[in-house]
Amino acid sequence: MAAFSRRHVLMGGAAALAASALRISPVSAADDALYAAAKKEGALNLYWGSYEQKTIEEIRDAFKAKYPGIEVSLLRQASQTIFTRLRLEIQNDAVQCDSIGTTNLLHYKDLQKLGAIQPFKPTNINMVPEAFRNIDPENTYHVGAISLTTINQSTSVTAPPASWTALLDAPWANQITTGSPAFSGDVASWVVAIRKKYGDDFLRAFAKQKPKVGQSNVDTVTDILSGERKVGSAAPFSYSLTQQAAGNPIGVTVPSDDAILNLGLTAVPTKAPHPNAGKLFTDFLYSVEVSNILAKNFWPTLRTDVPWAEGRTLESIKWYRNPVDNLAAEVAEGIAKWKEIVG
Amino acid sequence: MASSRSVSAARSASVGYRCHHAFRLIVLVILLAVLALLIVQPLGWIVFNSFHDDVTGQWTLRNYVQIFTPTSLWAPLFNSLVLATAVAVISTLLGVPLAWLVARTDMPMRGFVRLFTMAAFVTPSFIGALGWILLAAPNSGWLNVGWRALSGADWPLLSIYSMIGTIFVCSIYTVPYTFTLVSSALEEMPVELEDAATTLGSGVVKTMFSVTIPLVMPAVLVGFILSFIQGMTLFGVPAFLLTPSGTLVVTTKLAEFYQLFPPALYMSAAYCMPLIAITGMLFYARRCILGRRQFTTVGGKGRAGRKIRLKGWRLPALAFALIVPVTAVVLPYIAIVLVSLSRAWGLGPIPSNLTLHWYRWAIFENAETQRAIVNSLLYAGGAASFCMIIGILVAYIVERKLLRGAGLIAALVTIPIIIPGIVLSVGFFSAYTRQPLTLYGTATIIIAAFVATFLPIAYSQAGSILKGISPDLERAARSVGATEARTFASITAPLMRGGLVAGWLLVFIPIMRELSVAIFLVSPRTNVMTTLIYNYKDGGNYEAVCAASALLLFATLIVVLLARFVTEGAAYRRRNAASLGAVP
Repeated sequence: MAAFSRRHVLMGGAAALAASALRISPVSAADDALYAAAKKEGALNLYWGSYEQKTIEEIRDAFKAKYPGIEVSLLRQASQTIFTRLRLEIQNDAVQCDSIGTTNLLHYKDLQKLGAIQPFKPTNINMVPEAFRNIDPENTYHVGAISLTTINQSTSVTAPPASWTALLDAPWANQITTGSPAFSGDVASWVVAIRKKYGDDFLRAFAKQKPKVGQSNVDTVTDILSGERKVGSAAPFSYSLTQQAAGNPIGVTVPSDDAILNLGLTAVPTKAPHPNAGKLFTDFLYSVEVSNILAKNFWPTLRTDVPWAEGRTLESIKWYRNPVDNLAAEVAEGIAKWKEIVG
Repeated sequence: MASSRSVSAARSASVGYRCHHAFRLIVLVILLAVLALLIVQPLGWIVFNSFHDDVTGQWTLRNYVQIFTPTSLWAPLFNSLVLATAVAVISTLLGVPLAWLVARTDMPMRGFVRLFTMAAFVTPSFIGALGWILLAAPNSGWLNVGWRALSGADWPLLSIYSMIGTIFVCSIYTVPYTFTLVSSALEEMPVELEDAATTLGSGVVKTMFSVTIPLVMPAVLVGFILSFIQGMTLFGVPAFLLTPSGTLVVTTKLAEFYQLFPPALYMSAAYCMPLIAITGMLFYARRCILGRRQFTTVGGKGRAGRKIRLKGWRLPALAFALIVPVTAVVLPYIAIVLVSLSRAWGLGPIPSNLTLHWYRWAIFENAETQRAIVNSLLYAGGAASFCMIIGILVAYIVERKLLRGAGLIAALVTIPIIIPGIVLSVGFFSAYTRQPLTLYGTATIIIAAFVATFLPIAYSQAGSILKGISPDLERAARSVGATEARTFASITAPLMRGGLVAGWLLVFIPIMRELSVAIFLVSPRTNVMTTLIYNYKDGGNYEAVCAASALLLFATLIVVLLARFVTEGAAYRRRNAASLGAVP
């Protein structure tokens, strides 16, 4: 029995490998029924803030290629804008969105409270890393993106700070650039995590380093590439790697005291005009095709069987994710403390 | 027989009278209905929202109590007032002389200065801020690097991340408002008045201050107010340049409200109400300053195109006139174009890093960009034209006092411009996603939002042109039997033409670069350039941002040149007609 199952696993693995090499994945029976229902609906409106324009456009195009007969519209805006818009649509009973994808868990807590997102279990969810499989016991929202917050640095820096605490060392005074937690969800979750790890003392010492505070964490890359600052704190891992691959003089350091992992999430609104198409898209997110696109664009993949770019995996990186309970209050407190201490 | 003739004449006169009044009534009813839909309804929603609680959705006065209590909400308002006042003053000090030099003197390179001042107008302010970050960031800014290399100093010459830096960048991108308004007023003004002053021994400068500037005062004041409003409502520049110092202004504070859970939309609506009061005061002040003075400069005589000779002052004047073109366009666009031509902009402008990829991508490869360019041009063109039609009608009714309570209409059409776009966007969302007007997701809702937002500019421009046209000409037409509509079409409108093209551009260009009012209204099919450029910025793709910005500038400049061509053609024909009519 054991040998039988091992052989099957091996065969399955080989098939998956071959399929992933060809960038196709078999359509399951459940998928077939959902596809038929989605095709009947005929359209899919994506409201996405996770992933930048290029990556999400590639995902949309791959979906269109795999599921012809569904007209796909993609609205890509900043996560909070997308969320505000869906909320406005809900308030005015004019929901257009079939699949929302944003970078902030609090959006989904809020939508759940309003009864505005519907429960369902994506068929491929078992391919997702186990830690992110059942993030909502009610199944109203699921993982949509994995985002890591790390340190980035100019290639002119030969010995970059190896940890968050190393950023507080003398050489990095006046050299740090970072985003603002009041504007960026990723920076806000970094502040929550750092306060949990080191308390407000860290923020006090950090303020003494006189960091340059921009809006988004993307601004860290801008400051490093322009030469304005040398090291970025609370920096975007994937985006920095993309810029490095494009040939820009930037590098990434995963801090020894943990990269901060922030989950992007996705849901299908209760009043979605094309709910089956929305669910089909969620299923598609966990396909090999999408994970390949993610790896190509330096994003962590959503499947355990597709490694990230440059052979990285979730296991190869030390990461920390903020506990979910009480997150809203902690974010608000983190922002207030930041304003008080860092400015 | 005679009596029956007089009866029929009286009857036809009374029919004519009734027809005339019926026509006037129809126009008024349509106009009021349009204004109700465009302005009253969305504004009503904003006011309605401001009295609701963001969390519970219940009626409350809490938002207003919150605005007027904690100091944290006063500080941004104060900072915004400082910023807006400084921007208005600097824009006026730069813009008025600039307009005079270009419109009325023989300064060299006038065409270049005009075109590049308009190019400054076309540039979305966050792009300008980006360009200036590349130029004047304390450590890496190219100007500072150059300064350190030349002087050996270890401190930066300029620091863009400051209130002064922000005022500077906001001002150079706001000067075009004053410039366009005042230069168009100057071009419509007869030189006889200046000649009279010169004949009486007044020098160029004295003539300028005693004759020219007072005559274009309505345009100067509108320019000042629009610049002030621009300083209050700009988001991009303070977001980039003031965030590092932790200084908040109204718009960045609003952005914080939108980041809350749930987003404090109703609180934001309440936060805008003091802005309406401030703008109200400005327009009231304008009325007090202008009072009952007459500004009629178009009296039916032809205008000569003769220029004032600057003699030895030509070069110093040119140096002054180049401030805006160089600081707002030449320098930042050198930076922007260099980035747009880079494979990876962090490597700098070295030959191996140069590519046309981003332009190829934006123009030929990316369907989203193609659609957005077309949408931007169509919506801005449509909205600007519609805006001008309503603006002229309202201005005509107000200036010629055709209706009791016309002042109220004037106040109404002026309000939207002061409300930051992001709040207006929510107002439009609420107004047009319900029965019977479900326009959400259509191009109409975006055009309507643009029209409402920029109607104050159209109205102000039309108003200041009308102030300059003597009603005597219209009365002459009326006295020989022309109806109000005919008089307007054959006398008033042609006289306004030159100024109207300037007004159309004053609306068209800000729409092209407007970002926030469209933010909750665009759909994938109705995306515009600025929302797309902001997305690329959000994703950190600066090469694409810069290429798209350069294309946006290019597309808008073509429209500006076309419009200029049309006006100059008209002015040329008019001048010819005038000289033909002159006594030899």
